Amino acid sequence: MENNTILSVGIDLGTSTTQLVLSRLTIKNFASAFSVPRINISKKEVIYKSDIIFTPLLNQQTIDAAVIKKFVTQQYEKAGINKTAIQMGAVIITGETARKDNANAVTEALSGYAGDFVVATAGPDLESIIAGKGAGTNITSKDKHQLAVNLDIGGGTSNLVVFDGLDVIDTACFDIGGRLIKVEKKTGKINYIAPKIEKLITELKLDISYGTTASPQLLAPIIQILVQVLENSVGIGTKSPYYDMLVANHGLHLNPNIPLVTFSGGVADCLNENLPTDIFKYGDIGLLLGYALRNSQIYRDKQVATSLETIRATVVGAGSHTTDVSGSTISFTQGILPLRNLPILKMARQDEQGDTAELAEQITKKIKWYQVENELHNVVLAFNGLKNPKFSDIQRYAEGITIGAKTLIEKQEPLIIIVHEDMAKALGHSLYAQLPPKYPFVCIDSVKVENGDYIDLGEPVADNSVLPVIVKTLIFG
Amino acid sequence: MDEQELKNMVKNILTEMTNQEKNTESQSKDSESITNEDSDQVLDDITKIDLRKQFLVPHPHDREGYLKMKSFTPARLGMWRSGTRYKTASVLRFRADHAAAQDAVFSDVDPKLPKSMGFIMTQTTCQTKDEYITRPDRGRKFTDEMVSKIRSHTQKHPKIQMIVGDGLSSAAIEANVREIIPAIKQGLKVYGLDFDESNVIFVKYCRVGAEDHIGEITDADVVCLLVGERPGLVTAKSMSAYIAYRPTRGMPEARRTVVSNIHDGGLPAVEAGAYIAELLDKMLRLKKSGIDLKTVDNETK
Repeated sequence: MENNTILSVGIDLGTSTTQLVLSRLTIKNFASAFSVPRINISKKEVIYKSDIIFTPLLNQQTIDAAVIKKFVTQQYEKAGINKTAIQMGAVIITGETARKDNANAVTEALSGYAGDFVVATAGPDLESIIAGKGAGTNITSKDKHQLAVNLDIGGGTSNLVVFDGLDVIDTACFDIGGRLIKVEKKTGKINYIAPKIEKLITELKLDISYGTTASPQLLAPIIQILVQVLENSVGIGTKSPYYDMLVANHGLHLNPNIPLVTFSGGVADCLNENLPTDIFKYGDIGLLLGYALRNSQIYRDKQVATSLETIRATVVGAGSHTTDVSGSTISFTQGILPLRNLPILKMARQDEQGDTAELAEQITKKIKWYQVENELHNVVLAFNGLKNPKFSDIQRYAEGITIGAKTLIEKQEPLIIIVHEDMAKALGHSLYAQLPPKYPFVCIDSVKVENGDYIDLGEPVADNSVLPVIVKTLIFG
Repeated sequence: MDEQELKNMVKNILTEMTNQEKNTESQSKDSESITNEDSDQVLDDITKIDLRKQFLVPHPHDREGYLKMKSFTPARLGMWRSGTRYKTASVLRFRADHAAAQDAVFSDVDPKLPKSMGFIMTQTTCQTKDEYITRPDRGRKFTDEMVSKIRSHTQKHPKIQMIVGDGLSSAAIEANVREIIPAIKQGLKVYGLDFDESNVIFVKYCRVGAEDHIGEITDADVVCLLVGERPGLVTAKSMSAYIAYRPTRGMPEARRTVVSNIHDGGLPAVEAGAYIAELLDKMLRLKKSGIDLKTVDNETK
């Protein structure tokens, strides 16, 4: 088995900045020459980092798609990459940008435009995970055998992810960022206040509005609240009365002691011990927030580890850490890949234990959940599978699937099966025997998915033996 | 305190021993009543303990971390000690696993299994287990009588000749064959191939080289031998498939392709079967096996 590579792109449209990276993922067979292949990603290299530009907006509500397209084209040219060479990747639209009117339209346009690959329009949970992986917090946690949390503090939002070793155990997102208040550099006058900050100003009865000349003293009460909420978010201090207001989707669900902290995002570059002289150098409150964080309780109570990436954590995460590969003994029919944005329909362990008829019934019932206005969309049928299945188990699964997914089969939708345990090749063969002749299907294993996830499957690599997979976790906890 | 512990332990062991003696004594008198009366005095099966989760270090600095490390290996880590020795539980477990390995070697495959699956029953020139262990050369060939039995009961020049051999672990065959044979058959169908169970040869006292002799006898294109592997302390049920394109006696070992580690903690039998089916098809297409197959594989990329 020769080495093989996947060229992957990551594009991050953040609240304040837009960037792009190109990564090369090397795929290697870790098994010896005579054993069953065991293929994994052996190396992740960022081979090109773009310039960082401010996210172009037509107005406060609309993203300027034309400028972004031009940016992507230029960067591909600079990197000397033909877009058809890109196999996988993710465009991720984060923070406040995701709430702009045309966010969906932009990512969709961009996905087709940036290359023939797959797009993740992330929700805050996925964004947190991607940023944490880009910052290398999972590696820190693994190396130190302790829980670690990454705070990716960008322009509009702070995304938290907690790792136990390489596993994600929790996420959170707050509307706290460096560009919630913007200041005109020349005049020092405030020219933007984010909605939640406006509310905060009203409640605190502060005399701050558009046109007010900004100063650290004036903004201090606001900065103090933002920092207190961030302290709260990792379990420090008494809960601020504004905590709930500043939650974007949810705080951390669990409340374990997390000894390690990493920072990423633009504000991670502003964690200065002393306040710089030109405090509004970036035309925002990033430096003020960074300074306050550096002197916060977080630095006293927790061990702050160095991140691998700061402002580029999300984009590097999107480029390098979203793609994974399936197990090495899988089975699929030619010509149906790539497939993208398929929702996961995961069977409960209990459903899988039933006999063929019961399994089929559960599958049929659950497929109906995805029937929107009588229109049936294809779904991925996901199973836990069995550790050491008997041949009769394989038969039972295959029969249950072919009977249960009758509606999909009648519609000629390709059948996509994902099993967690190592049994996909045998199951695939069994499906082949039971499905109509030449029916298209994909059956892969060693990929862990949950209900609510979406998945993208790329074209096979490493001599047809594995599929690149992007699992998009949209709902967490 | 240590002395007290020691006393307790000795006491426990003695009680267990005497109980056991009592059991065997009375068992011979009246076996039925005993099983009812003393059933809850039976010792726990020490081999049922998951070694990856057994952690005997009394005051670990980082229990979670150690257990995480242990979850990646079946090695006996964190077994602690008593003075300079292993603890009793570790020694007993070690001996139990060793005994299972020995049993796997020295017991025979229950003849009902291959018979019920319709296999052709054969035996190499070895007459006993001892001979099989001490004379590997005799486990690779058949007597003239056996050769004619194989010839008369098998199809001539099949595309695929399947063989099942006890090898060094009968337990491996008993655990895996029933699952892997249908998985291979089903997988072959994807490639338009097949074999018949009644054409599968079961070989008692089988060494890997026996497949070469069978290859010559049946003139098969590809010969696939499922054989029990020398057991270790992790599992006694590991099976391998040795597959060769037109094998001949005395050919270099490099012409065999191996799929190893087929057991419940390794590659599941059904998944191995599916993979073997794909390999068989590949060998038939490329007319090669072993290193030669690998070379073609690399060239086509």
